[in-house]
Amino acid sequence: MDFGFLVDYYKFFISGTSNTLMLSFITVILGLIGGIVLSIMKLSKFKILQNISGAYIAFIRGTPLLVQLYIVYYGLKDIPMFVAGVIAMSINSSAYIAEIIRAGIMAVDKGQFEATKSLGMTGAMAYKEVILPQAFKNILPALGNEFIVLIKESAIVSVIGLHDLMYNVDTIRGITYKPFEPLLVAALIYFILTAVLSKGFGVIERRLQASD
Amino acid sequence: MKGDYKQVIKLNNIHKKFGDLHVLKGIDEEINKGEVLAIIGPSGSGKSTLLRCINFLEPPCDGDVHFEGKLITKDSKILNSYRQQIGMVFQQFNLFPNKTVLENITMAPILLKKYSTEEANEIGLALLERIGLSDKKNEFPSKLSGGQKQRVAIARALAMRPKAMLFDEPTSALDPEMVGEVLELMKSLANEDVTMIVVTHEMGFAREVADRVLFMDEGAVVESGSPKEIFTCASHPRTIDFLSKIL
Repeated sequence: MDFGFLVDYYKFFISGTSNTLMLSFITVILGLIGGIVLSIMKLSKFKILQNISGAYIAFIRGTPLLVQLYIVYYGLKDIPMFVAGVIAMSINSSAYIAEIIRAGIMAVDKGQFEATKSLGMTGAMAYKEVILPQAFKNILPALGNEFIVLIKESAIVSVIGLHDLMYNVDTIRGITYKPFEPLLVAALIYFILTAVLSKGFGVIERRLQASD
Repeated sequence: MKGDYKQVIKLNNIHKKFGDLHVLKGIDEEINKGEVLAIIGPSGSGKSTLLRCINFLEPPCDGDVHFEGKLITKDSKILNSYRQQIGMVFQQFNLFPNKTVLENITMAPILLKKYSTEEANEIGLALLERIGLSDKKNEFPSKLSGGQKQRVAIARALAMRPKAMLFDEPTSALDPEMVGEVLELMKSLANEDVTMIVVTHEMGFAREVADRVLFMDEGAVVESGSPKEIFTCASHPRTIDFLSKIL
């Protein structure tokens, strides 16, 4: 095995990794916002909102991310690749995050809602002060898992030519006629990213356990 | 003695159904200022549901609730302002696990009465002093015993300075050795003329502290009267039967 290509091409790995990170980071934020909105819609008392959110989640979870990515990229003409990648990934992850958040809210004890009501608090106050903080703690492991999946799945955007880590690795494989070694480097980088993320979530989880 | 009762809560023909199950079959009651009303009866008699209908945790299917002469509706403004004046204590405490003991008590006054944190803390610390848990102010509820949790839950309700307190079997989830401390606190509230409606299985408490005892069975009030009337000379066979089983 020969890793000599690293000397010439390490910059490709760095720029690819930074694009992958940027894509994942923006997607996490947008996916989280979308997920919160969708889960609140699904838990609302209005049938229409429930149905819209339910249909969205069912459709997104029932179709491949690759297809969604192509639909976004070729459907919305003249948008930059990076934007297309962010949109497709966000649309996709918001559906999964919505279900995680919904499950977390539903796992909060019914007595907590009743206690806030009995004090005369509004629904918004109850969610902000009592329900969401507890739900957040419930869902942290699942949310961490979803973010890890997201980083790994982001490799798919290389098919539309976005210069993420995977795309750049493919480029190096082509230039250097070494089909194998660059993949090992890519695997290692993905692993480091997800390992750091999962360690980080572990730390937050332990902090939040203070009230147990 | 307490002849000059001013009416606080008036219930008018309250009905509640869960599907086909007719849980409350037309309850009429009046609770006066300073009165301690104990509601007793077998499980499934509808006594907890009645209590929950009073503050609309279970909205009545039919009938009216009046608070100080005003009709209470499901309108969220009216309902929230009403609930702020009616404290509730639950069987399962329902303290907020993500807040410290002091925050549990001060949250509602800060959010709803717009008290500053300092003002609310002052009220909260005074209440903690009163229930003997000042040293626990910065603990989370998970660190407390059942009896301590229930005392904090009572303090949380009191912090809103309510005009009446509802207790839903406040000692039923407690270990026997912790029942006393909660009843003691409730007794001291009763002595301060706090208006209280207490659903309870503690007959000793009902007999000793209540001004009036209400016996319910199968969704209706069978009999009501002073503790003496109910416990020593109940007239209805179902009351007599129930009391003979538990006393």
